[in-house]
Formats: sequence, structure tokens, C-alpha cells
Amino acid sequence: MCDWCEKYGDGYERWYFNPANYARRLYKIRREEAEASGVEANPQAAGGMAVIGPDFQEARDRGDLEKMQEIKQKAEAASWLTHFGQVITLDEALKIADMIYPIGLMTCSCRRSMQGYPVEENFTCMGMGPGMYKWERWPDTYRGGMHYLTPDEAKEVITKLNKRGLVQTVFTFGTPYLAGLCNCDYPDCAFIRTTVDFDIKLLWKGHYVAKIDPELCTGCASCVSRCQFKALNYSPSKNMAYIDQFQCFGCGLCVTECDQGAISLVERAKLPALANVW
Amino acid sequence: MLPTITVDDEKCADPLSCRKCLLICQTHVLGLGTSVGVQKYRETDPQYFVVRGVRFDKCTGCMDCVEVCPNNAIQVSFNEGGAR
Repeated sequence: MCDWCEKYGDGYERWYFNPANYARRLYKIRREEAEASGVEANPQAAGGMAVIGPDFQEARDRGDLEKMQEIKQKAEAASWLTHFGQVITLDEALKIADMIYPIGLMTCSCRRSMQGYPVEENFTCMGMGPGMYKWERWPDTYRGGMHYLTPDEAKEVITKLNKRGLVQTVFTFGTPYLAGLCNCDYPDCAFIRTTVDFDIKLLWKGHYVAKIDPELCTGCASCVSRCQFKALNYSPSKNMAYIDQFQCFGCGLCVTECDQGAISLVERAKLPALANVW
Repeated sequence: MLPTITVDDEKCADPLSCRKCLLICQTHVLGLGTSVGVQKYRETDPQYFVVRGVRFDKCTGCMDCVEVCPNNAIQVSFNEGGAR
């Protein structure tokens, strides 16, 4: 079982379907706690955590496993308390868009900091809940402004971004307060990159695992470019796609791309060896 | 082996609009930050944006960023001890 569902699900199937985790009450708690501990309650400052400093890279370079483990544990503990993400499927993202109001379309700070994307090319990120009414406090975080979306508009944008190849994720801002619905890819999403490159779990895998039907896969390989987690490749010997299910994050991008309907999502919880692989 | 990447901020006046080094890097090693942090109620002036090495572990030492920089602001070297 997913730790977060157990802790914050409150009877709902998933913790991110529990409306209480998007509520104003948590937003206020987060702000008070953050400010009481001397931290500015600014989402961008929280986002910077996904970049692990040179200490870790140096430790890895010299093969210092103990130091790596120490940095990893510290980074994960801090992230899980304040700002971390989990991969969700397109269907789950669409369901969230119907649950939460307001939803705002904004520019992605990860892509801005890794590639310096101009504002007009960078509207790929979504913020949810009461915090969105106060975006003007942080003009740098919300460069390009906040575009409020109706639930139908939000669903349309999410579907379009999925089509483009971006992975849907939810993010906490003071766990369990959920306020980010991001659309991410490797290598410019700081969370995907840190998680995949360093095995520091700032982005949790989703509740599903992709599975190929060998009867239906024609080996067209159109799914291969969709995987942002290095879990999917084309096998010439089998003339088929191959999915490493232990590496799969369950985003379903390969599923939505397959014209043959050869890829499906199965529940992680139903596979004993994967049930606790997050 | 990790590189030492240094950027001369005085030579690199407006990385947010130039971003040649960010775009040419095959492995997206470099990142963009500001020297003043994130400020409440104020958008950061472009002159305070800085380029820094971020994903040192992915630097191959190709020197494309060094060569593409119109102001010769970037230096990359590989020494014992690496990074930063």
C-alpha cells in the first residue's frame, strides 16, 4: 500500500482523491508552520530542493556509499515533509480537475531554470487551490502570470500536454497539502531527473504499472519515445516494445500513444513484488 | 570524473535572453538561477540572472558551452576533486 494513501487517504481510494488534502485549512497550516520555522512560504524556494547539491555528486564520483546514503536520506526526509510528487495517470489528472477549484495554468519553473524558456513557450504547469489567489506575491515564481481555467479548460489542457508527451504528477506544498499538478519530462523536470539519475525518491511512482500484450504489439515503437523514466525500449530480437516494470512509473504515456491498444495499466498493488516499489 | 565549471557573471550580462550555453549542452548540465534569490512582490531584473553548473555528473567535457558563449564567460576544467 502507498504510504501516503494510508496516512492521508481517509477512506478514499487514493490520497490525492481525498478533497481534504487540497483544503484551505492545510494551506494555512503550511504557511504558519513554514514561517514559524523561519522559512519564507514561497513555493519556488521549496522547488529548489529537488536539485541535490554537488556534495552528492562528489560522493558518488569517489564511490562513498555511506555519504551518498546519508545525503539521500536527509533529502528524502525533508522533501516528503514539505515538497514531493507522485506520478498519476491522465484519467486520474482529469478526475482531479473536476474535484478542485481553482486551477491555474502557469509557467514551469523547472524548465525556466534548466533551459531559460521564454514565458510564452512555458505554460505547462498547473497550480491548484487557495494559494492560486495569492500568486501575485511571487512574480518570479509565476512569471507570465496565472491563467485561471474552468474544469473543462483544465481537462483540455492536461489532455493536450499528455498528448505532447508530458507526464502528469501531483505535488505537495507542505505535505499533505496538494497544490501542484505538473506536466513533466526528463531531463528538465528537477524531480524526475533527481529521482531517475540519483535514485533519490522525490517523485514517487504511481499506482499502476504498464504491461504489454505480446499478441497485439506490432513493434512499431511509437511508444518508445514517450517514456521519461528509462523503463521502455524497443527489442529488435522480439520486434516488440519491452517494459522494465520495476523501473516503470505508471504514468501511462505509452498507453495513450499505442494505436493497437497493446499496452495497458495494471494495479501495482496486485503484483506482490511491485506492490512496495515506489 | 566531475568538472569544475566557472561562469564570469560580469561577462555574462543577460543569460535569460541569450541562453546559448543552456541550449547547446547535450546533457543539460547547466542551469539558470538568480544572485538575489526569489523576492516577494518583485520580479527579478534580468541582470541578476546567473548561469551555473548543476548536473555536474552529466558533463562530458565537450566544451561546447565554452565555445558557444559570445562573451567567453564560461570555463570548464577537470581536476582531482572535481565539481563546483
